[in-house]
Amino acid sequence: MMPAGDRTKKGLIVTGVLFMVLFVIGITGIGGSNVLRYGFRILLYITIGEMWNLLSGYAGLTSLGQQAFIGLSGYALAVATTKYGLFYPLGIVAGLVISLGAAFVLSFLLLRIEGMYFSITTWVVAEALGTLFMSLMYVNRGAGMTVSAEPYPRIGTLYLMALVLCFASMITMILLPGSEFGLGVRAMRDDVQAAESLGVNVKRSRRIIYLVAAGFTALAGSLFFLNKGTIYPESGFDIGWTISMVFIVIIGGSGTVAGPVAGAVIYVFLSEILAHYPGWSNMILGAIAILMILFCPQGVIPAIGAAVRNSAKRRRKGSDGCRELDY
Amino acid sequence: MKQDAAVFDNVEAGYGNVRILNGLSFRVAEGEVFGVIGPNGCGKTTMLNALSGMIRPSKGMISCFGKELNRLEAYERCRLGIGRTWQIPRPFAGMSVYENTLAAAVHGAGRKNLLRDRRSGRKESDTALKALEETGLAEKKDMPSGELTLLDRKRLEVARAMASEPRLLLLDEVAAGLTEAETTQITDLVAGLKEKHYTVIWIEHNIETMMKATDRLMCMSEGRNVLTGDPAEVMASETVERLYLGADDE
Ligand SMILES: Nc1ncnc2c1ncn2[C@@H]1O[C@H](COP(=O)(O)OP(=O)(O)O)[C@@H](O)[C@H]1O
Ligand SMILES: [Mg+2]
Repeated sequence: MMPAGDRTKKGLIVTGVLFMVLFVIGITGIGGSNVLRYGFRILLYITIGEMWNLLSGYAGLTSLGQQAFIGLSGYALAVATTKYGLFYPLGIVAGLVISLGAAFVLSFLLLRIEGMYFSITTWVVAEALGTLFMSLMYVNRGAGMTVSAEPYPRIGTLYLMALVLCFASMITMILLPGSEFGLGVRAMRDDVQAAESLGVNVKRSRRIIYLVAAGFTALAGSLFFLNKGTIYPESGFDIGWTISMVFIVIIGGSGTVAGPVAGAVIYVFLSEILAHYPGWSNMILGAIAILMILFCPQGVIPAIGAAVRNSAKRRRKGSDGCRELDY
Repeated sequence: MKQDAAVFDNVEAGYGNVRILNGLSFRVAEGEVFGVIGPNGCGKTTMLNALSGMIRPSKGMISCFGKELNRLEAYERCRLGIGRTWQIPRPFAGMSVYENTLAAAVHGAGRKNLLRDRRSGRKESDTALKALEETGLAEKKDMPSGELTLLDRKRLEVARAMASEPRLLLLDEVAAGLTEAETTQITDLVAGLKEKHYTVIWIEHNIETMMKATDRLMCMSEGRNVLTGDPAEVMASETVERLYLGADDE
């Protein structure tokens, strides 16, 4: 097993280089606006994928309701900019604050509930919020709201904001395993009771993770609706958000930082193709995810990693290598 | 006068509606190695579960170093100085052997001292490595803990509990299934802990080990304390003999 410190260093170097490359693409606009548009979406989906991986893969919190924070932050942005005429960054901050507040309050209810009941309750809460916004005159009910900004940020700006957000989420995930907090979290991922009996404060760790995931997901939601310009209850609080997060983590592989990156790239291009078949897209995504669980349960990135390691080992020793699931 | 390291006072506890401990009472003095025997299923492990906070008593009181435990969460009990092992080893399988003990060193009872001593250069890695050395695992520190043999898993149980720097160590059949030589290693380890003024509650089936290594012995049956006293006297008692000859299937 590679020591956590070495893995962290390697991860940070690779991520740093990748960031520089993507940053240059954003600043210069090489490749044109299409690259930036796709890049923007991929970066946001990586962010929410990493955060769902954190929740489900590390803390055992399989939430089906993270769209609650996407909807809340999207609406906060719309209300702040349209109703109060605030500069849009303030709207993003408002969305973050409101989502963190909501997550904090909700955590007292949700973190008491275990397993499947937790998942169902998170989904019910998100649906309830959608229904609430559907009936609130303050947010124009089902008619939705627009986001206003003067001047409206261009795709290059949006891309750079998404880039910073995405890499902040990735660096969080790279630093987590080797940190003191992360050691406790990994212990509790493997065995909750044994971790508790060794002094790991499981409740507090779960609350922190829930809040961190809510925060990043909210920021991604703000940027998404800042780009889109309009928000409706059914787009903000759409279960489709959760479907995409689950898909990204299953396809890419949970428990790794690179997994959601690969998952998000595949997801964005696949959903682009599937956009021509409305109504079918979620079903096809679901079918692909199920096939993946059946035939490659560890996900694309760990499978590639294992294959590379195995062939290297065979070349060295002529034996079949162990199946180590690290990075 | 010596403080009590652990007190059970008329404790009733169990799982769901099934009551396992039926008015269990006993005291363990600080610095003592306190052995626990009893037929399978009599509630020895359940007693540890109640002490370490995995289950809560429906009646009665448990205290540790003069502090009532009933309201404390499991992690708080660990930080108070209770370190436990599991009868069936429960390593953190996704982590290396070293990381297992490191997690305990960082989060356990030693946490407070660690935060204080950091300025003077003490590191959590020292605590973690020392626990591995004392249990003979130092050379396997980078192995995934899930790949350890049973003996090494048992060692890791002890190492991890010790890395949390407890004052009261709870050992649940750590010698069961081990050879005589391996058992002697564990007995020596416990003797060394006693020198360092640890308190130990040690559950074991092997009568000889218990006679040799403990200061006092408690025999449990059906969730109660049947007899507690000098190990030789307890083993010589008719009640204990009957329990072992009659009900036990080992
Ligand atoms: N997690 C559990 N849930 C329900 N019953 C349990 C559980 N653990 C143990 N028991 C039951 O409690 C009784 C006492 O078990 P235990 O304390 O493990 O006995 P001992 O350690 O003395 O062999 C047994 O009848 C066992 O089946
Ligand atoms: Mg037992």
